[in-house]
Amino acid sequence: MSSTRRRPATLRRVILTVAAALILFIWAFPVLWAVVVSLKSESEVLAYPPSVIFEPTLRNFRDALTGNLSIASSLMTSIILATATTVLTIILAVPAAYAFARLRLPARQGLGFYTLVTQMIPPVGLVIPYYLILNRVGLLDTYTGMITVYLTFSLPFAIWLMVSYLEDIPREMEEAAYLDKASRLQALWHVILPQIRGGIGVTTVFVFLNAWNEFLFAVQLGGNRIRPVTVAMHNFVSIEQTLWAKLAAAALVAMLPVIVIGILAQRQIVKGLTVGAVKGGGRR
Amino acid sequence: MSSGRAHADRRALAAGERRFAILLVAPALLVLLATTTVPIAFLIWNSFQTINLAMPFLDGFAGLANYRQMSGDPAFWHSLQLTAIYTGSTVVMQLVIGLGLALLVLQIPRGQWLFRIFAILPIVLAPVVVGLFWRTLMFAPNFGMIDFATRALGLGTVNWLGSPTPALVSVIVIHTWQWTPFAFLVLLASLASLPEDLYEAARLDRASAWRRFIHITLPLLRPAIVIVIIMRAMTALSAFAAIYAATGGGPGTATEILNLYAYRISFTQLDFGYGSALAVALLVLTLAVSGFLFRIRTAGSGP
Repeated sequence: MSSTRRRPATLRRVILTVAAALILFIWAFPVLWAVVVSLKSESEVLAYPPSVIFEPTLRNFRDALTGNLSIASSLMTSIILATATTVLTIILAVPAAYAFARLRLPARQGLGFYTLVTQMIPPVGLVIPYYLILNRVGLLDTYTGMITVYLTFSLPFAIWLMVSYLEDIPREMEEAAYLDKASRLQALWHVILPQIRGGIGVTTVFVFLNAWNEFLFAVQLGGNRIRPVTVAMHNFVSIEQTLWAKLAAAALVAMLPVIVIGILAQRQIVKGLTVGAVKGGGRR
Repeated sequence: MSSGRAHADRRALAAGERRFAILLVAPALLVLLATTTVPIAFLIWNSFQTINLAMPFLDGFAGLANYRQMSGDPAFWHSLQLTAIYTGSTVVMQLVIGLGLALLVLQIPRGQWLFRIFAILPIVLAPVVVGLFWRTLMFAPNFGMIDFATRALGLGTVNWLGSPTPALVSVIVIHTWQWTPFAFLVLLASLASLPEDLYEAARLDRASAWRRFIHITLPLLRPAIVIVIIMRAMTALSAFAAIYAATGGGPGTATEILNLYAYRISFTQLDFGYGSALAVALLVLTLAVSGFLFRIRTAGSGP
């Protein structure tokens, strides 16, 4: 697009390419290096200066999935936790966002502002009261407690994101269908939902990623029975201080789902990040 | 049109729509009320109590004691100062580097997708894993690549996470590394959507590239920049996992931003009353900063 503005001179092009390559390298390096380290044997890892040529082994990955250092059960916990949070969030957020974006909702501004404020609550402000509350009602270290807490960050975010998608649908779409309550619901289901599949997809990806990556709530309100991969990784380092090759392998396994989702849903993620910002102030 | 009846129909329709709207938002808002507002109210209530899980016999109403303690607590002011340094420096660096990169990548005719894919990588990683990766693979003495690089350059070993100032620099670098791609992606998309014809006109007027940037690009980018600042500031203010994993707030309290301080007071010292007061301070700070930034944003989009 911008290349039509001006033809870059050769030197300029070379400098740009080198700078660009350097940046890509910096972004990718910690993960690429983790891959290299994860393929080393424990003795190879300790070689200094770090070796680049060595005989790769998959032992560390086997140990990450089986045996006493396995994080397999934590993977399962993360899958359950992130999936349940995502499903609940979408079910609650989509109708609410629809009402915010397209219906004559009483006190819309006030309620929208309220939703926005709930999104800004620092997690530490929630983990302290939640510890006391869940402790009292016996829900510490349970899925019910954890999913409830996860809704605090996923729900406001999902409503906020879905509103921007719903505002983009042409209004004529559902107007014809507005007659009574029954057909309103049908309009939402048959007319609106198919239009916002993309937006629901983007929201699903974000909510899932955020739930998968959450650490503070998990380490303090879960931890034993409910131990998602983020907590498992942290424990790994505190217990197995110097098993760095095994740590790298386990961390890569723990992050594999989000890395795969990130690369596959790259377009959707960029869209989700930029929605609103690119539209420029017009959302609220 | 028989106006009376049509009018009544329309009003009935509008009333029906309102009821329907309330029905749709009610579940989500009730859940938000129960899961966020009630705990926050409890937090504020607790901040006026003495709650110490280690000494429960002292528990009771404390009035303003926790807040008085806060105002005279050097550790609190220290953590507040660290929060300001951490938030300010990471947001500025993300913005400057992200914008520079976006302008640079826009000049590259091919392979922009490559940048998008690589930029996604830090963003999707869990902050706790990012903290662990940097702590071990990058900063660890005799193992990490940064240690290796400084030695190779003849600078010797720096105990990055083990001495106060380097540790603070390190956690700032880690945060900036993880979140600059966000600023980059948002600003790249905004730059790509700017109207081309304005630039044509400026070029005909022989405006220099710098002048075009200052007088056209920056003002048009303003809404996106403010959004980036708001979102990045919110993330920095509630940053926890990466610092916790990399330094645990240490050495000593060298990287203990307010967030981590409130956490330690509550869960290590078990002083939930004072911890709650500290969390309330962070909440107030966060809302004040975002309120201020949102005001800037609406002030700019006036005419």
